[in-house]
Amino acid sequence: MSQSSSSFLERHQFLIYRLFSLAGLIPVGAFLVVHLLTNSSILAGDDGRTFQSRVDMIHSLGPLLIPIEWAFIFLPMLFHAAVGFVIIANGMPNVGSYAYVGNVRYTLQRATGMIAFAFIVWHVMQLHWLGQPFGGGRFDPHHAASSAAEALKPTVVAILYAIGVLSTVFHFANGLWTLGITWGLWTSPAAMRRANAVSVVVGIGLAAAGLGALGGMRSLDVVKAREAETWMEKQKQVLSVPGAAVTPVPIPSPAK
Amino acid sequence: MIKAVGAMADLAASAADNGDHQAESRESESRMVRVRVLRQDIAGGESYWERFEVPYEPNMNVISVLQKIAAQARSQDGRHVAPVTWDCCCLEEVCGSCTMLINGRTRMACSALVDKLVVEDGEEIELRPMSKFPVVRDLVVDRRRVFRALEKIEAWVPVEGSYDLGPGPRISPEEQEDAYPLSTCMSCGCCLEACPQYTKIEVVRRDDESEADFDARRKAAHDSGFIGAHAISQTVLFNAHPTGRMIADERMEALTSKGGIQVCGNAQNCVAVCPKHIPLTRSIARAGRAATVWAIKKLFDR
Repeated sequence: MSQSSSSFLERHQFLIYRLFSLAGLIPVGAFLVVHLLTNSSILAGDDGRTFQSRVDMIHSLGPLLIPIEWAFIFLPMLFHAAVGFVIIANGMPNVGSYAYVGNVRYTLQRATGMIAFAFIVWHVMQLHWLGQPFGGGRFDPHHAASSAAEALKPTVVAILYAIGVLSTVFHFANGLWTLGITWGLWTSPAAMRRANAVSVVVGIGLAAAGLGALGGMRSLDVVKAREAETWMEKQKQVLSVPGAAVTPVPIPSPAK
Repeated sequence: MIKAVGAMADLAASAADNGDHQAESRESESRMVRVRVLRQDIAGGESYWERFEVPYEPNMNVISVLQKIAAQARSQDGRHVAPVTWDCCCLEEVCGSCTMLINGRTRMACSALVDKLVVEDGEEIELRPMSKFPVVRDLVVDRRRVFRALEKIEAWVPVEGSYDLGPGPRISPEEQEDAYPLSTCMSCGCCLEACPQYTKIEVVRRDDESEADFDARRKAAHDSGFIGAHAISQTVLFNAHPTGRMIADERMEALTSKGGIQVCGNAQNCVAVCPKHIPLTRSIARAGRAATVWAIKKLFDR
């Protein structure tokens, strides 16, 4: 028997694959939803004020943000990607011989997974401060909209982002449907069709949010946005000074 | 299983030379069925294409084409060649032994009608052995892995004993209706051939290896590979049976071991190619649900 060659990973294949499946939804997929919805707040039409306040809310976590990011975003994503590459390497797509819709989706799921991985690595390097040693890290949380808008200015970047966002959203929406089969949530063909309709709606909604955010960032008036952000930044500084008034505008104190 | 051998081939070939075919109608004489077969003389050997031409007859299936090829034992260019070898048995799509790739798709040769093939895919018919199993010779493949998977998940009702166990429990008509389609599985392997997650495992015997050692090594290799849709569906069938359920935990253990249900990639080709129209994806989802419950039980009930 090949008992000696059966590694830890082989003995716990079921657990690992199920954790891989779960990680795609929670936390990675959940983060994707929050991320795209947050970004789409750029469409509020207030020179990025709403977007800036959402970013401020996230950054109010302060030093906790880094461990939270690693525990709930980066590490689960790397785990999902690592197992995903093993799964891709062990499969043999055959759409050429069997061009069924399900099979096309199977193949697309793998293709978009790889595109999404490459895109996310680039995206993080380009905008997140982790990318600063590599000349990236261009996102400034104090100037959220304007710094993001400038990074997305080049047409090539915008096209690559559109491809990346659509691939990621397809991978998530289709993954949502297959996850339900894997865990046994929907079992009959009719239930699978209904779940598929829900996945399609989720996918279209997220694609609209993602592409809307991209378009919103690119059509942003960077000068106005920067002014708004600077003003909001000053407000925060006033608020953070100990003993300062609750609002920058002085109001008469009722208790005398 | 019948392996078509060339014993009768020479006789038939000489009969054809005698000019018997001239008695046939002019239409069938002029019309020939052209076939391209991917051949292989020996396990692990080189494969090569060979073309054949056999006189057309109405309502031919691929098996009857292969029988004619065996009878004439001549390639299209007139060379005398060994007849093509293939597996078949029932000739009515219930035994599952004549699976092969016909025009690139997995199906049963007995139910593949020449008239339809010609209309759908053009004049020449292409025959290849299944690609997911080791070739024994020509169109005959070694499908022991299919049956090994059934052994692994114990696809039977355990009633062996030395005394009378009495009558079995009653099964409601609803349960019968649910189970019946799953019981029509004939282990033909179409679902495995079409599955992108099911990849070929070919274990070659070493020179210094005993038959028993080789057998053990082959079984271990098969056990570590994907069990496939057929075995997952049989798990559902036997775990739904009141008596079969007695060893449900053993089946779930096998189903969630390496190469188990988790390897399924949800391409759903299995259900699309199944000649018996078994609801395989429903079985997979049900087995997935059972595996979820079983894993939680295993984690917390011990």
